[in-house]
Amino acid sequence: MEFINFSEIAEQFPIVFQALNTGFLQTLKLFFVTLLGAIPLGLIISFGSMSRFRPLSYFTKIIVWIIRGTPLMIQLLIIFYFPGIVLGNNIWGGSESGRFMAASFAFIFNYACYFSEIYRGGIQGVPRGQEEAGLVLGMTRRQIFFKITLLQMIKRIVPPMSNEIITLVKDTSLARIIALQEIIWAGQSFLKGSQGIAGAIWPLFFTAVYYLIFSGILTVLLGRLEKKLDYFR
Amino acid sequence: MKKKVLSVLLCAGMAVSLLAGCGSGSDTDQQSDMEYVKEKGTLVVGITNFEPMDYQDESGEWIGFDADMARAFGESLGVEVEFVEIDWDNKILELDSNTIDCVWNGMTLTEEVTSSMECTDAYLQNAQVVVVPTDAADQYQDTDSLSDLSFAVEAGSAGEEEVSALGLDYTPVTAQADALMEVDAGTSDAAVIDLLMAAAMIGEGTGYADLTYTVSLNSEEYGVGFRKGSDLAEELNTFFAQCYEDGTMQEHAETYGVQAALIEQ
Amino acid sequence: MAILEVEHLSKKFDRTEVLGDISFSLEKGNVLSIIGSSGSGKTTLLRCLNFLERPDSGVIRVNGQMLFDSGDPVTTQESEIRRRRLHFGLVFQSFNLFPQYTALDNVMLAKELLEKERPDYKSKKREINEQIEREAKELLDQMGLSDRMNNYPHQLSGGQCQRVAIARALALRPDILCFDEPTSALDPELTGEVLKVIQGLADQETTMIIVTHEMAFARDVSNQVIFMDDGCILEQGTPGEVIGNPKEERTRQFLSRFTKG
Repeated sequence: MEFINFSEIAEQFPIVFQALNTGFLQTLKLFFVTLLGAIPLGLIISFGSMSRFRPLSYFTKIIVWIIRGTPLMIQLLIIFYFPGIVLGNNIWGGSESGRFMAASFAFIFNYACYFSEIYRGGIQGVPRGQEEAGLVLGMTRRQIFFKITLLQMIKRIVPPMSNEIITLVKDTSLARIIALQEIIWAGQSFLKGSQGIAGAIWPLFFTAVYYLIFSGILTVLLGRLEKKLDYFR
Repeated sequence: MKKKVLSVLLCAGMAVSLLAGCGSGSDTDQQSDMEYVKEKGTLVVGITNFEPMDYQDESGEWIGFDADMARAFGESLGVEVEFVEIDWDNKILELDSNTIDCVWNGMTLTEEVTSSMECTDAYLQNAQVVVVPTDAADQYQDTDSLSDLSFAVEAGSAGEEEVSALGLDYTPVTAQADALMEVDAGTSDAAVIDLLMAAAMIGEGTGYADLTYTVSLNSEEYGVGFRKGSDLAEELNTFFAQCYEDGTMQEHAETYGVQAALIEQ
Repeated sequence: MAILEVEHLSKKFDRTEVLGDISFSLEKGNVLSIIGSSGSGKTTLLRCLNFLERPDSGVIRVNGQMLFDSGDPVTTQESEIRRRRLHFGLVFQSFNLFPQYTALDNVMLAKELLEKERPDYKSKKREINEQIEREAKELLDQMGLSDRMNNYPHQLSGGQCQRVAIARALALRPDILCFDEPTSALDPELTGEVLKVIQGLADQETTMIIVTHEMAFARDVSNQVIFMDDGCILEQGTPGEVIGNPKEERTRQFLSRFTKG
């Protein structure tokens, strides 16, 4: 039995490389769209759960509990299939772009809930004395938020946010459950047979390289940000 | 006070957005499925990458016996045909949620399929075959010899039905190709896959040159699945009969080497 | 005329009365010490003067100008309060320096933000900023921190932090500078340097209100002492009267704890 046939891999590489790149583009798209949506939405949700108006804060906390307490994979299935099956109105369409929209929706909502808890910790972690010091120095609430509390909040949330962001890179692969053609899907297609290559195992394993490189870049960038905020305590 | 009003509004807004879509009832209830497809102008065909039934050529175009027939059927209906890759495990979900309109992908007419879809008559004969490494093939030439092997089969496939009926030890995997990988990697002793697929994917000059197929476990038939109660299944039966009569079906079958398996319509 | 007049100030948290009918006045250039056991309402009184708490009733006047009148809704509006609280400065027990700014920037920040609201700010930007920086440096110099200006709070000792906080409060030139137990969060060996700075300010006739547990310091630095008990002023007068020769039994009890120890 031969283990790895290098000449065959070399032959297949150009085709596979292109297909994996296309798949990874979809992975990246989902990653950035999720961040872009979940970072602000998370802030809104965190304000909701900190609201002094009880019904709103209870309502938000229940939503966050449901989203954080169920697997993202189930949420993807429900969000994509539920409207068509139960409400008789498939709002997403069946095409690749419809699947991407449904996946984005599920990911943004899921990650916003996780982010909201991180924000809440960050906001509540800034001592009340900071705000009071600003007030007695005649600052407006706006000035206090932007000049004093915001940076302290960011410093507190960067480490836990980094963890979530790295997790998100890998979580994007869950979207294949609703047949979003991200990189794992692309790698798997050469097993089943695609573009004249069938039964090739190595493309699936090779996808790991993409994840490694991308999460490596992110780790370095986020680490730099963390270091930049290291000048104060 | 202002803050409270804002909070109530926010609260209400979130509740509404959560339930959005509940109010907008479906207008497909009164329509027949054929009318629904014609009105939107596209027939969305759910497929997986499955040579020689549905697969991509080098330019990314979907070809294969099923793909060609689906295109011809779409033409006869006067609608565009859109191919969408789906997760095979979710094919019934996809149909029921209207995200696809039919499953046309060398689908074996099993109990599971016929009870949950509106299926056409069978159009292709297939078998489930046992795949083993070539150097071990001699030992496994009949059903009785299989009892001490560990199998890999696609979850929910006709192959899984067969091995579980025989009481064999097996691992369900997500695709037929994964089952082949298991055998090639030695993590399973044997796999059960479609004959048509085995013919295309294993043996000399393929990715699995060291594998071969031996025992045929059953014969089975391929059909096309539509939503339960759809009138399109009957329409496609008529279309198949026409194509068989004028010879276009045989032509397409020859292009992909499946003519021997064709069932008379 | 008194620089500060407080009349009939009262404050409740939920249903508990924490301040009941407080009235006193303070002359310009004088130092008032407020003493009393914890929970007697000293800190709440100070927070009311700085509008961190809102009194339920009463009147606060500075230089004859009405700053707060519970009967007049105009004076209790949030937007009005911001400008009015600038008559007071407040030094916190736990410093509350802004950790992301250097000592110098901590002193300059509030002044910079205020000066931006001047109509002629844009045309005189450079002059104004130069002046803010010069004044801030002078203040830190006066606090004995000229070599610490570019350090961040976490690089400073507690005593140094508190001195930066005093400079920060002085930068806005408040009419009255308030101290909320300024040495309570410090290690004993660091209290001296802070008390020395406050003594220096008193010598320059800075009007101050000091909530403190340092009885000896209160006696030396103040012209006027208030003893608070259970949210009320029980006794007030010169340090000699209140600390040296208290009339009330409660005051004597309270003071005896310090003389014994």
